[in-house]
Amino acid sequence: MGHFHHVGMSMGMSSGDDNSTMAPSHHHPTSSASHSHGHMMTMMPMTFYFGFKNVELLFSGLVINTAGEMAGAFVAVFLLAMFYEGLKIAREGLLRKSQVSIRYNSMPVPGPNGTILMETHKTVGQQMLSFPHLLQTVLHIIQVVISYFLMLIFMTYNGYLCIAVAAGAGMGYFLFSWKKAVVVDITEHCH
Amino acid sequence: MHFIFSDEVVLLFDFWSVHSPAGVALSVLVVLLLAVLYEGIKVGKARLLHQALTSLSISTSQQLIEETDQNSSSSDSPQVSRTRLRWFLCHFSQSLLHVAQVVIGYFMMLAVMSYNTWIFFGVVLGSGVGYYLAYPLLSMT
Repeated sequence: MGHFHHVGMSMGMSSGDDNSTMAPSHHHPTSSASHSHGHMMTMMPMTFYFGFKNVELLFSGLVINTAGEMAGAFVAVFLLAMFYEGLKIAREGLLRKSQVSIRYNSMPVPGPNGTILMETHKTVGQQMLSFPHLLQTVLHIIQVVISYFLMLIFMTYNGYLCIAVAAGAGMGYFLFSWKKAVVVDITEHCH
Repeated sequence: MHFIFSDEVVLLFDFWSVHSPAGVALSVLVVLLLAVLYEGIKVGKARLLHQALTSLSISTSQQLIEETDQNSSSSDSPQVSRTRLRWFLCHFSQSLLHVAQVVIGYFMMLAVMSYNTWIFFGVVLGSGVGYYLAYPLLSMT
């Protein structure tokens, strides 16, 4: 019987196995096998739920047990999602700025002798060791890490945290893209 | 954890649990339409932005022409506030579309996480069909 529970626990989701009928909607595992074996301490929920008891958040020390902690986690996730949107737009702006500067640098056109089109190859992208490219790379790494964190937070299937991710993304897009769109509007008319 | 072909799947919500091939087929259809909608929203956001920029650029250039003609002072004319309101509404609707895009994107990720191969095919096919239908609309003006 312990083996059966172990198999059921390790699958953790709807499976093709006829024997185990897991109820994935249960957030708190009631079987005693989790304490005896200790292989999987908590089951991952597979459907959305609203609750704030025993919610693990990303790291082993971060467990939410009270409403106050859930409120704090909501705010933190909201700010993280807003920061992610801001980072995306800041990277776009930085890229455009560094590329525009390179384009202007290569514009110097032909001298009085009639020599034509000197440095057209400079318009393509950035140099690899230039500071803008290194900065873009560092920001890209941060962006990838944050995006995976947000995915993992959404994967907790906790309704409050998922709403925090979605609302933070919306608010971040609203605030940061507003500024970007105004800037884009102005610069695109100067050409 | 690995991909399996299964007749049972529980997707996203407690009530969405199916145990029959017909149920799974219906779920695959729903997920497919969700993926098509996701691609459509991406294109819709870009088009909204493009429309806003073109329409508001016309109105701001008209304002500039009027202001230079009239030699008006620094106070905002009603034209400017109307433009700002239109821009605000446009940007707000884009933000709502962005929230919808984020949520649907995460739903699709969670659907694939069910590790049901039929659902995965539905997501991939839906993304392909959605891209095929929506992206030509991007270059239309």
